[in-house]
Amino acid sequence: MVIQILLLSGLVLFSILAILLKDLLKAALSLAVASLFLGIIFFRLGAPYAGVFEISVVAGLITVLFALTVALTRKDSEVQEARLTKLVFPLFFVIFLIIDGLVMKGLLQQVPALPAGPETGTFGEVLWKARTFDLVAQLGVILAGVLAVLALFRKKEEDKDE
Amino acid sequence: MSNLWFLYLFFSALLIFTGIYCLLTMRNLIKLFIAVEVISKGVSLVIIATGAVKNSILLAQSMAITYIVVEVSLVATALALIINIYKKNKSLDVRSLSKLKG
Repeated sequence: MVIQILLLSGLVLFSILAILLKDLLKAALSLAVASLFLGIIFFRLGAPYAGVFEISVVAGLITVLFALTVALTRKDSEVQEARLTKLVFPLFFVIFLIIDGLVMKGLLQQVPALPAGPETGTFGEVLWKARTFDLVAQLGVILAGVLAVLALFRKKEEDKDE
Repeated sequence: MSNLWFLYLFFSALLIFTGIYCLLTMRNLIKLFIAVEVISKGVSLVIIATGAVKNSILLAQSMAITYIVVEVSLVATALALIINIYKKNKSLDVRSLSKLKG
């Protein structure tokens, strides 16, 4: 229980750092560390495949994408944030923390859980047989993402003529 | 087991709150997408923790993987959009987007 609380605290702490740090590259790296914590939590909850995806894809690929975007937009990209934003955040956070602690337990007892028996089979069987349609949807989403990126980075017609 | 579920949902609510706070108050476009990422971390934590507590971890894992794939696709498209916006406006300030003409 102590290790779980430490891991979850690390996850929240680095997520907050990712939001509050002024340097965008440091913020992206903090997000990667938060993903690493989340991946370890997934492993400990008995979800190794989700943990591997979280660490390799979110902590790896998305961090690279963020770092690339920061590098491409670094010049003159300083944005003046409102002064109060960072000052007021701890106050709101503590208020939410108290409300969360008081309300969440009561909410959990009211959440209707769907009846489910113990699962049988392996992860592969669930993913490839029970959730086949999800995989088709994933392919569609990846294809849509690739086409969107290609469309956004295509050269203008005038550039070609020149 | 209920205590464990409470613990995970408590922390994921904190993550989601942090992300929403950033979305509402920050002006930098990249920061806004970092906030979206933080919210999505909270959501995937809810999915896996609920799966672990309710004895359907295999289904929860496959859902979480689908969610991560959608998240990556979203972030790639969004960052490409941000680069294009920066090229056009020379700024990452979200307020510059309100100066649309037409």
